[in-house]
Amino acid sequence: MSEENKREAGRQEETAAAEQQSPPAAEQTEPAAAEQREPANTQEVSGTEPAGAGAEHPNQPQPDTMPEHPDASASDKPAEPAAPAAANADVPSAPAGEAAGAGAVDPEREAKIKAAQEARAKRLAAKAAAEGATAGAVAGAEAVAGAGAGAVDPEREAKIKAAQEARAKRLAAKAAAGGEAAPGDAEPAEPKPPSPKQPWLDEAVELLKSEVHPEAVEEAVINELAGDMPTITVKAEHWRAAAELLKGHGKLGCNYLRNVTGVDYETHMEVVYFVINLETKREYAIKIRTDREQPSVPSAVPVWPSADWPEREIYDLLGVDFPGHPDLRRIMMPDDWVGHPLRKDYVPLDPEV
Amino acid sequence: MIRTEELLLNVGPQHPSTHGVLRIVVKLDGEVITEATPVIGYLHRGTEKLAESLNYTQIIPYTDRMDYVSAMTNNYVLVHAVEKMMGIEVPERAEFLRLIVMELQRIASHLVWWGTYLLDLGALSPFLFAFKEREMIIDLFNELCGARLTYNYMRVGGVKWDAPPGWIDKVRDFVPYMEKQLKEYERLVSGNEIFLARVKGIGKYDAETAIAYGLSGANLRCTGVKWDLRKNEPYSLYDRFEFDVPVGTNGDCYDRYMIRFEEMRQSLRILKQAVEQFPSSGETMGKVPRAIRPPAGETYVRIESPRGEIGCHIVSKGKAEPYRLKFRRPSFMNLQILPKLLVGETMTNLIAILGGVDIVLGEVDC
Amino acid sequence: MKGLIQGLGVTLKAMTTKKVTYAYPDVPLKMPDRFRGVQHFEPDKCIVCNQCARICPTECITLVGKPNPDPEKKGKVIDTYDINFELCILCDLCTEVCPTEAIVMTNNFELAAYSRDELFKDREWLENNNTNVRQDNNNIGAPQRGGAK
Repeated sequence: MSEENKREAGRQEETAAAEQQSPPAAEQTEPAAAEQREPANTQEVSGTEPAGAGAEHPNQPQPDTMPEHPDASASDKPAEPAAPAAANADVPSAPAGEAAGAGAVDPEREAKIKAAQEARAKRLAAKAAAEGATAGAVAGAEAVAGAGAGAVDPEREAKIKAAQEARAKRLAAKAAAGGEAAPGDAEPAEPKPPSPKQPWLDEAVELLKSEVHPEAVEEAVINELAGDMPTITVKAEHWRAAAELLKGHGKLGCNYLRNVTGVDYETHMEVVYFVINLETKREYAIKIRTDREQPSVPSAVPVWPSADWPEREIYDLLGVDFPGHPDLRRIMMPDDWVGHPLRKDYVPLDPEV
Repeated sequence: MIRTEELLLNVGPQHPSTHGVLRIVVKLDGEVITEATPVIGYLHRGTEKLAESLNYTQIIPYTDRMDYVSAMTNNYVLVHAVEKMMGIEVPERAEFLRLIVMELQRIASHLVWWGTYLLDLGALSPFLFAFKEREMIIDLFNELCGARLTYNYMRVGGVKWDAPPGWIDKVRDFVPYMEKQLKEYERLVSGNEIFLARVKGIGKYDAETAIAYGLSGANLRCTGVKWDLRKNEPYSLYDRFEFDVPVGTNGDCYDRYMIRFEEMRQSLRILKQAVEQFPSSGETMGKVPRAIRPPAGETYVRIESPRGEIGCHIVSKGKAEPYRLKFRRPSFMNLQILPKLLVGETMTNLIAILGGVDIVLGEVDC
Repeated sequence: MKGLIQGLGVTLKAMTTKKVTYAYPDVPLKMPDRFRGVQHFEPDKCIVCNQCARICPTECITLVGKPNPDPEKKGKVIDTYDINFELCILCDLCTEVCPTEAIVMTNNFELAAYSRDELFKDREWLENNNTNVRQDNNNIGAPQRGGAK
């Protein structure tokens, strides 16, 4: 049952929830010794939940069955239909639970509730970040980092906590729907000091905005998981000029292109360039988003010749076109191969292989 | 008047000197190359695609097989990336073990390079000398983790096996023995006039070209750029040890040769210090959650493998499998300069230059 | 010329050193204890938890369990257990996660066969492959030792 939570959580890109719910999921499926989890999931979803859920969660019979509703709903929504439905049962019990948690029987519960609050606040902050505000993006990065730290929490995760999370999430969704962000709850997590690489990021963004195009930069974040790497998302049509600026400008001078990666998100494709200035060690990760049907990113080969083969590889395996590339053809697969193997929807010719 | 035509020659995928299945399509005018196009992909095994359906511990054996000559560094780059994302701390003894095996692996990899490079150039005995020493290192690894080439030794959070009793002493004894052997090998080759004539002044390029083409490792340092990730972006415990980074001046094959030879000596120096400072007790595995699920986000880590900068870019959605796992392979990037470098060279120099770049096809194709 | 002579001196000196080659097929090769060779399986210890099949990176283990024939005892007993050695890369992740050490590795590595069918090893063969069994197994992946899934 917390399988569902896990999937939802994964889709919401909520790390905290995923981290804390997966160990209980692990503990549940091991005795079952099920090799495939998916059939087990669908069985639980379509079948009757209360029997199984009730047995496993003596403390919260009702609310935990709610998330098992079929996930036909989109990623941000699963809590929503659940929330009004559960509202009647939940609202009295949940705030009661939270209020009771303050003066709870065991202080552990209080800590858990606090953690749930923190997680909720982080999630909201991350949600705000998804709207695109740079300040929100910093908080979003914060959330990612905070969740990263929280991931190492040892096995205190009981199923109770997972259920707490689920309830907190539903409440958060309700609160968001009600239009109130919960900034007050962000207090428990102290704001992290700005990263030492933040000035690099700001300077680069300034220069890009002023010299290339005011609209060139879509998003600028410090990626804490990657050692505080300044990550800038640049629009595809301005990429060529931005690349020349990154290489040529005195303050940036990133003359070494270390890696080019293509990623296939199901909604769009992304190409990430990692550049560094070998003297000052200033490094940036530049992401360029492009759509999936006709992906096209201007080639960086005229600026950094080391992008030659990586771009060919991305073309070969993902199908992203690079206008301006001197010799764009398949590199890994045979020349007459049809299809782009690394795409998520690629169907191999011979499934046995 | 003699009519000449351009000859299209396939330095085919099956060739003793291409260090794997590399095909170079070469247009020759007499003996001189006018155009060279490497064709790769003969060893493409789809590691990156496979990785999207395996969890991180299961990918570790696959990383071994990418750069099979230097498998420990591949293991490390993946494990380091996951640990960085999850913020896991590795106990000191495990980190020491990792560093010791990585430096031993560097020596073993450079020995393979040395033996095969000289074999390509026509010298038959250094190959066997190199493999004799490498066999000693491989035996050490065999005792440590049970395999000779594909170790599957590192795990997220530490290493799988602790050193068996007496192993560290064997490493300690190996260091002076190897130093002596390296002196012998230097006497064997470095004064040899034929060798010098074949590699001095061949395959020259300058620092700007090297940086522009994204070269790394000895290929970058031979031009005078002092860039070694163990010093410039220290990872693991490298900042505790004293060692030099050999840098060349000319940017030709001879400099690359000397740099790699000297790197072996510096690795021995690091090993000596590491064995001194080795903690006598400690855990081999850190605190790792039961299911390894890095938080959603992405990361890019890079370390210095014997061939250059190997990097691992993980995009994770918070699941047990990576959403996208991309390896930045040094041999792949280093090979790009080949078409430019080969124009105007003769066929014999092609072999010398190709050997000097030090590629492993398992890594080029991933 | 001098360099050549010097090099020749080194080569000639190598002729006086001890031989390092093994006379392999005539003399069996002794591997250290931790060597990862072909697996050995003990059906009595297996509890059909499927961890080995799940962790296998190449999915070469297939197994089927049956309910315990003894009506008193609970749990499953192993019925068939096959390892496809065309796929097995001898990475020893299966031995790492086995909670009961039912599957362990030996130090035998000779698997060469004349036909592919012989590479598909079943339970009896694996049970009988009990020479040179590895002593030190280090299942850090097994659940009771706090391992990963």
